[in-house]
Amino acid sequence: MAPRTVDRKRKAPAAAAPEPQSDDEFQDGVFEGALSQSESDDEDFEIVVSDDDDESESDGEGSDENDDEDDGFLSEDIPSDDEAISKGMQDVEITEPGVDPKVEEKEEENLGYKTEKDANGGVRYVYEEIDPVYDSDDSDAQGPENTIGDIPLSFYDSYPHIGYDINGKKIMRPAAGDALQNLLDSIEVPRGWTGLTDINTGNPLNLTDEELELVRRVQMGLVPGDLHDPYPDTVEYFTGIEEKMPLSSAPEPKRRFLPSKNEAKQIMKLVRAIREGRILPYKPPEERQREEEEQEEVHFDLWQNEEAQEPNPMHIPAPKLPPPGYDLSYNPPQEYLPTKEEREEWEKTDPEEREKEYVPQKYDALRKVPAWDDLVKSRFERCMDLYLAPRVRKNRLNIDPNSLLPKLPSPSELKPFPTVTQTIFRGHVGRVRSVAIDPSGTTVASGGDDGTVRVWELLTGRQIWSVKLSSDEAVNAVRWRPTKDAFILAAAAGEDVFLMIPSHASVTPALDQASRDILAAGFGYATNGQQHGEPGKEPAAKWARPGARLEDEGVLIRITVRSQVKVINWHRRGDHFATVSPSGQRSSVAIHTLSKHMTQIPFRKLSGLAQTAAFHPLRPLFFVATQRTIRCYDLQKLELVKVCQPGAKWISSFDIHPGGDNLIVGSYDKRLLWHDLDLSTRPYKTMRFHSEAIRTVRFHRGGLPLFADASDDGTVQIFHGKVPSDQLENPTIVPVKMLKGHKVVNKLGVLDLDWHPREPWCVSAGADGTIRLWM
Amino acid sequence: MGKIKRKGQTGQAKNYLTRTAAVKKLQISLPDFRKLCIWKGIYPREPRNKKKVSKSATASTTFYYTKDIQYLLHEPLLNKFREQKVLEKKISRALGRGDLSDAARFERDAARPDKTGKPRYTLNHVIRERYPTFVDALRDLDDCLSMLFLFANLPSTSAVPAKMIARCERLCMEFQHYLIVSHGLRKSFLSIKGIYYQASIQGEDILWLVPYKFNQRIVGDIDFRIMGTFVEFYMTLLGFVNYRLYTGIGLKYPPKFDQTKDDMAAELGAFAIEGVNMATDPNAPKAIASGETAPTKAHGVDPKVQAAVDKIVRQLKQDDSDKAADEATAAETEVDDEDKIDDSIDKFEPVAPGGDILPQPSSGSSDPAELFSNFTFYLSRETPRQPLEFILRAFGCKRIGWDNVLGEGSFTTDESDPSITHQIVDRPVVQAVVDPEDDGEDNQTSQKLTANQRYPGRTYVQPQWVWDSVNDGELKSPELYAPGASLPPHLSPFVQTKQGQYDPTLPLDAQETEKEALDAEIGDKGEGQSGDEDEDEEEEEEEEEEGSDNDMDVGSANDDSEEEEVDDAEGGSGDEEEDSDGEEASAALQRQAELEAEISGKPVKSKQVDAKLKSKLSARKELEKKAKEEAEDLERAKGMLSKKKRKLFEQMQYTNNKKSAEDLKLRSKRRKHEKEQQAKSKA
Repeated sequence: MAPRTVDRKRKAPAAAAPEPQSDDEFQDGVFEGALSQSESDDEDFEIVVSDDDDESESDGEGSDENDDEDDGFLSEDIPSDDEAISKGMQDVEITEPGVDPKVEEKEEENLGYKTEKDANGGVRYVYEEIDPVYDSDDSDAQGPENTIGDIPLSFYDSYPHIGYDINGKKIMRPAAGDALQNLLDSIEVPRGWTGLTDINTGNPLNLTDEELELVRRVQMGLVPGDLHDPYPDTVEYFTGIEEKMPLSSAPEPKRRFLPSKNEAKQIMKLVRAIREGRILPYKPPEERQREEEEQEEVHFDLWQNEEAQEPNPMHIPAPKLPPPGYDLSYNPPQEYLPTKEEREEWEKTDPEEREKEYVPQKYDALRKVPAWDDLVKSRFERCMDLYLAPRVRKNRLNIDPNSLLPKLPSPSELKPFPTVTQTIFRGHVGRVRSVAIDPSGTTVASGGDDGTVRVWELLTGRQIWSVKLSSDEAVNAVRWRPTKDAFILAAAAGEDVFLMIPSHASVTPALDQASRDILAAGFGYATNGQQHGEPGKEPAAKWARPGARLEDEGVLIRITVRSQVKVINWHRRGDHFATVSPSGQRSSVAIHTLSKHMTQIPFRKLSGLAQTAAFHPLRPLFFVATQRTIRCYDLQKLELVKVCQPGAKWISSFDIHPGGDNLIVGSYDKRLLWHDLDLSTRPYKTMRFHSEAIRTVRFHRGGLPLFADASDDGTVQIFHGKVPSDQLENPTIVPVKMLKGHKVVNKLGVLDLDWHPREPWCVSAGADGTIRLWM
Repeated sequence: MGKIKRKGQTGQAKNYLTRTAAVKKLQISLPDFRKLCIWKGIYPREPRNKKKVSKSATASTTFYYTKDIQYLLHEPLLNKFREQKVLEKKISRALGRGDLSDAARFERDAARPDKTGKPRYTLNHVIRERYPTFVDALRDLDDCLSMLFLFANLPSTSAVPAKMIARCERLCMEFQHYLIVSHGLRKSFLSIKGIYYQASIQGEDILWLVPYKFNQRIVGDIDFRIMGTFVEFYMTLLGFVNYRLYTGIGLKYPPKFDQTKDDMAAELGAFAIEGVNMATDPNAPKAIASGETAPTKAHGVDPKVQAAVDKIVRQLKQDDSDKAADEATAAETEVDDEDKIDDSIDKFEPVAPGGDILPQPSSGSSDPAELFSNFTFYLSRETPRQPLEFILRAFGCKRIGWDNVLGEGSFTTDESDPSITHQIVDRPVVQAVVDPEDDGEDNQTSQKLTANQRYPGRTYVQPQWVWDSVNDGELKSPELYAPGASLPPHLSPFVQTKQGQYDPTLPLDAQETEKEALDAEIGDKGEGQSGDEDEDEEEEEEEEEEGSDNDMDVGSANDDSEEEEVDDAEGGSGDEEEDSDGEEASAALQRQAELEAEISGKPVKSKQVDAKLKSKLSARKELEKKAKEEAEDLERAKGMLSKKKRKLFEQMQYTNNKKSAEDLKLRSKRRKHEKEQQAKSKA
């Protein structure tokens, strides 16, 4: 606070003077340009630098800092200022009177010099000051300069002068201009005006353009001097010292003495480009264009050394467009022209869906033919096809479709086969289980649920013989002995197999006697020969006479086996027959010898339940069908020959072709299978024409290529099945007829069927109690 | 443990690439890829199992073989494409900088096929790769020629630069010239789409389509850039093919092209064909030069003088030929010791029976080079000059004249030239108003005759005569094709009739099935009884028409007689046909009698007709029954087939049935038409 008080002290007298007014004006920021226009022409300057001034002037960023600095500056300096001022005051007061007399003396004597007394009392010559002329190169003499040093000018506020020049003379304060001048100046700011006062002269400080620029640069924080380069390039000078020794002792490399390979390369590149004509001498563009146009395409024989190449197997050449047909003609035959409806239809369909892209047209003269509208489009589509359509090689079967069809025998060749019901045999009560035509083809035997065996005349349907075998058991199978020299029927009812001679009108006494002889022969053998089997073991079957009642009827032998017999099959010679009783475990299959009244059980063990069995028609082979397979045994060697696997779930029956090489199998799962025994163990053909289980299958044995199957759906189906004599050919199987007539009773339809030995006739036994003859 | 196999790493998935993947692999844009595919002949494939092949979930449509794309990867053109891309980038960058002068410089350097019609690259190597032998190239020439002939007839647009069209035109002309010189043209067909030509070059049959000379309508969404790519390739191809063909027969290629003549629409005449070594055979080009030998100042030639000159020339020629004949006979006598060079195929006759007969190509009775060689043609104004000129020249005609309006290059422009033997006319016969004052007005043409006047001793035919003659290899009787006559149908020579297919050239009776014939006859009678009156009316109308026809024909007595002859000939042939059908002769007679009875207006003996009708009906019934039985048999046989085979069989049956249905329709139409015709002729 001290300095401020001093200031006030100092200012108090100044306020009385006329100048302080201007000071106030300064504080308001009003300019005092008039100061420089003072009345005196002497080169005294006054710079009024006050704190207030600084504040008013500073408008840059650093104004606050400046203030602080100033303040600090002032506050520090003030004590010394006081002293200096007091000294200065004293100095002024002392020297003023002293100087003035000297000047006067000089003026008086007007010599080149003045003599003065020095401090020691000696003479001292004081020479007159040399006044340098204007052109003098004395640069120091720049006119009077304030010598007050680094003190604020405000100290002189109360004095008429503002300081002292080099000679100690007072520098007078320049006169302040009048108010009008100030006003004018404030309106019309002179160039370079700053509003400051030059500290040396007291005149207003006007800055030149360069100086202003400098100020600006400082303010912007740039390097102040325009010419000043803060980062000059370093200029490296040689040291000037010649090195006596090389820096590296390595010898100069050879490459320094050889021409550059890289350059040679580059040059060769250019040379090559020029040679190949890639680099051409410059030509004006117009000329070049003209030349290009003139230059024709170069043609040469592209295929000069052609070599045929194998076409790539993956390559598919584009298909050619089909050649035009008759209907594309401009003058087609009349019949190719579309009718009105056809044309309308064509127009109606979407262009994409049209079968042809054009409608045939007729023009009576060539001159009337117009351009075709779609030509460009069709060409474009062809282009698209060529590059965008995936190509696939499709093998077109260029064969007659009829060649695909199997060669069927002509209908005349297929005939004869049974087509209609000729006779219906009625008489059985309940189901007819089995049916068989005798080898001579005149009678038919049947056995049914009522336990009777009946013999009928084939053509008339008249019952000629019957016998009741059992009152509680059904007759499951009836089979004639397959030779004509006797007239023997085998029938199975329950566990018993009966052999009988049905006597009727057509049986001659001789035949009857022959039959009786055959049956009787065994009794002698049995009595004469030793009984087979150990005495402790139960015999496989008991051969006995059935009793007087049945014997009178014609039933001569009863064979009792261990379980219920379902199937009887004779050997072709009539001496043996096989019976199958599916429930009979290991004794299910039995082979009976008629001439010896002997029964054998060929299989100790059978895999699966035996369903049916049959002798091979020609060779000593024996077939046994279990549920899934059919096994073929050689009776002489006693070994398994073949196993057929029809693939059926449950085989119901099978039959062997009279030729012996083929087999048909019927199954409960509705399938009829044809086996070629030589071909494979698998079926050759599988036929599924029935909707229910197949009960029986049977080949015709009289030389006709026929076979039939009977099914639970009440139908009998007749097939033409020709086995060619040529081994290489496959048998032909043709379904020919579906015989409908039997009624389905309790889900059972036709239970058995048999073919006539010669004619294309067959009889079928139905669950409805009837037998039908089909012819 | 083996390497874990991942999906899409082996097998089919590796063999195929989608289009996107291919483009990515080649690092080019899609249009460039398209170009490359077109030129290199790479096309998409159809994998057996699309699902296995595609790696993405979405169904891709086009797949390429990976090997194909791999093959594209080494294509030098690929670099050109990339260079072009770089250049374009430079230009766009320069434009972005605002550096117009730079952009202009780049632009100048850029290849601009659209402007110059020529790209910076050549496709020579591509052609050699695609067609390792010349015959391969010939095999693929069908599309090439069709395309180039189409483009030669297109108007120039921004998409199709004029230069390109001009080049197409030139190449086509050159090819035509080759065919003219080599007489390679075999067949031609006037269709509604344009004119089909078939040529045989080195044993390859080439078929192409040339549009009629009209402005082509461009409909629909057609990308000319794609077409342009094809044309670019085809132009190069045809250029090389032409070169090979020309040099193969000792001609210089390219032939000399006369721009001034071309500007005057000389077309084929603008080219001068030269032999390779002019000095050795100076007469070769002379003989070939198209219109050169013709006296160009034929305009004002006095017909008398011309006739005299012609006479002398003819005499000279005759002398020459006589001499030649003499020499020939002389040569024949000494033929044994002389080595007579004969490049025609010898006829092999079996010496002893028993050997197989090998088929031999027969040279045919007519050499294509000589079909028209003795004639001088004159084309009337209304005929299409270009195709006629080409086809006539290709079949040996040396002298073709036409009217001035048809362009430059004719043998003569004077219609009255006495050397003309044939004139091709395509205008209706108009009843000429006899007006002797009105002549000499027509300055445009040099003809002095009125429209309907004829020069005696000259054959007037319609253009179709040329085509039919060419296709049959023999000159057709010109009466059938006389001006104003209704032309016989123009049949496509390219159809190869198969057994059982409908053939319009054969009589109907020989082709129709028994049932159809019966049906038709029964139908006839039914109609005949019910619709007599209608027919009468029709007949009357037809009579009137015919009458008017006759009136029109009065102007040219010549014509009339020709027509009569034609009619006679037709009648004769018809009779013969009837005679030839021995079996149905009686039936035909009956029919004839019935028809006569109808026409004479007598009431037809209905009883008799009924009886006949009955027999016919019963016959038909029988046929139907038979057909039914056959169908049953077929069903039975089909039942024996396996499922797969049955399906195949049914498919084949389907197509066959479709074809036969078409034939049936055609036959029925023809029957109807013939019936009408017959009724007309009877009336």
